[in-house]
Amino acid sequence: MKKAKLVNCIFGCLVAIIVTISSAWSAQDEKNSPGFAWKDGAEIYTKICAYCHEAHVGPQIRNRELPAAYIRAIVRNGNRAMPAFRPSEIDDESLIKLADFISNKEAQH
Amino acid sequence: MASQYIALPKGVSEKNFNAAIRDFRKVLGDTSVLTSAEQLAPYIKTMMPVPDGDHTPSAALLATTVEQIQKIVAICNQYKVPVWMISTGKNLGYGSAAPAERGQVVLDLKRMNRILEVDKDLAFALVEPGATYQQLYDYIKEHKLGLWLSMPAPSAIAGPVGNTLDRGVGYTPYGEHFLFACGMEVVLANGEVLRTGMGSMPNSNTWQVFKWGYGPYLDGIFTQSNYGIVTKFGFWLMPEPPAFKPFVIQYQHEEDIVEIVETIRPLRISGVIPNAVVIAHALYEAPVKAKRSDYVSGPGSIPDEAVYRIMKDHKLGIWNVYAALYGTQEQIDVNWKIVTQAFGESGKAKILTEQEAADDPAFAYRAKLMRGEMTLTEFSLYNWRGGGGSMWFAPVSQARGSETLKQMALTKQIFAKYGLDYSGEFIVGMRDMHHIVDVLYDKTDPEQTKAAYQCFDELLTEFSARGYGTYRVNTAFMDKVAETYGPVQRKVHKTLKKALDPNGIIAPGKSGIR
Repeated sequence: MKKAKLVNCIFGCLVAIIVTISSAWSAQDEKNSPGFAWKDGAEIYTKICAYCHEAHVGPQIRNRELPAAYIRAIVRNGNRAMPAFRPSEIDDESLIKLADFISNKEAQH
Repeated sequence: MASQYIALPKGVSEKNFNAAIRDFRKVLGDTSVLTSAEQLAPYIKTMMPVPDGDHTPSAALLATTVEQIQKIVAICNQYKVPVWMISTGKNLGYGSAAPAERGQVVLDLKRMNRILEVDKDLAFALVEPGATYQQLYDYIKEHKLGLWLSMPAPSAIAGPVGNTLDRGVGYTPYGEHFLFACGMEVVLANGEVLRTGMGSMPNSNTWQVFKWGYGPYLDGIFTQSNYGIVTKFGFWLMPEPPAFKPFVIQYQHEEDIVEIVETIRPLRISGVIPNAVVIAHALYEAPVKAKRSDYVSGPGSIPDEAVYRIMKDHKLGIWNVYAALYGTQEQIDVNWKIVTQAFGESGKAKILTEQEAADDPAFAYRAKLMRGEMTLTEFSLYNWRGGGGSMWFAPVSQARGSETLKQMALTKQIFAKYGLDYSGEFIVGMRDMHHIVDVLYDKTDPEQTKAAYQCFDELLTEFSARGYGTYRVNTAFMDKVAETYGPVQRKVHKTLKKALDPNGIIAPGKSGIR
């Protein structure tokens, strides 16, 4: 037991040292370019939802006056075969735009 | 007092977990550490026939940099908190975004989604784990790079890092994805950052062009494993060919699989047909065109008689061989002659090209997959039974006709016992076949859910008893599959785990390794 604890302790110390050393190396290498971000609800619909909901895989969801809150809940929780989508994929702000796009008739034409 | 968490990691007290969460928040900020039931809901839903509670995470961490991940593993080591990494989290039918074990903290890398480099001349890409195939597809189009992707059926919403690390496959000549991987960056459990292959050498510019580096080749140990956290990943892309000719060859009898495989194998090994050919059973393709309820009702497997009616009504073979030729028109013309001669010999095959089948929805989505175009149409499969239950049963077979027939018959027999339908296909590798069968069931029906679990369990037992190994499996059955590969391999896996991750903080349970 004592030996295991000692090994863990040494390992823990090493972790701290290595993080300090190698973070500098990796940080130098990181470019500052930003990651991907959604433009608007239409883009999310086209590049995620439409592959099923416009392809006879999932049901039609446009022109059905689905409440925005309902859309947001289904996106986050999934429904039967539909997978759930996390805020890391569709952030909360973009999800509001997506739900508006789907439920807002004007946006569809 | 009720816990403030929906689950806790195994063996970690709430007090210690509180401290870990506090430290995670210092590194990531409050909004990138998720702990409430509402925030974690998208990490819980799976398609497996086990209670959601078995795979409920305690928290999710949304990291965006390598440095953050180094700090996260330090905290995990300090408090013995295990993390489960996901990239795009769309491992549908294999466990989705949920961890292997209840209480693990999901390390969600989706926001690390940069495309760091795509080299037009050398035809490679270097990306972060959260980059999707859709992002890459758009990037390549926007920059007119003339490169093609190879991706699995979830295409647009999945990504190359997660799929390749799980040794997934696609449908182009680059379909065996790990064969085309070239260079990884990995955060190890001790916080060190390893770049594999040529990436270990300072100032090297050959990280994405030469796979092997010097000394033992390490990339393999970071696939289907829990020895490190991959934060950058290089892979090769296929130059867009001047011409592309997709086709389907249909056969009418299940035993014709023998002739199909015997005909394809030499064409595949010699490179006449270069892509990962698919031999899809009628029930794999039927959901794109037909509803199960129009042909059968009540419990039990669909009878063969109904399958034959579906084939007739929807112009399907019992086997549908999807393949393509790539190259210059002259190359394609020569190879087309070889293909049609080989398949024409017995008089059983019906060969269709875009000319006859372009409007057929099954042909259309298969043609897209074989040229790396985004489509999720294969997921029509999920409508076959409805109810959101799916597990991929994925044994490996020799590319030998007699073997594929044996595997198909055994699978069908076990499916029938549990009242499930054989929705299977064979994806042709260089010398192997990935026999892929979707165990489809209604997860809202407790009886079907129970049957699906028992069916899958029996499939693994019976196949391994005959020496047929599974190449990939969902998180509910990882231990069982690991067991089928014998004690020596398990011991080696464990030895590596102890050496690289003595506190067992990285995805314990992945591939049965702890």
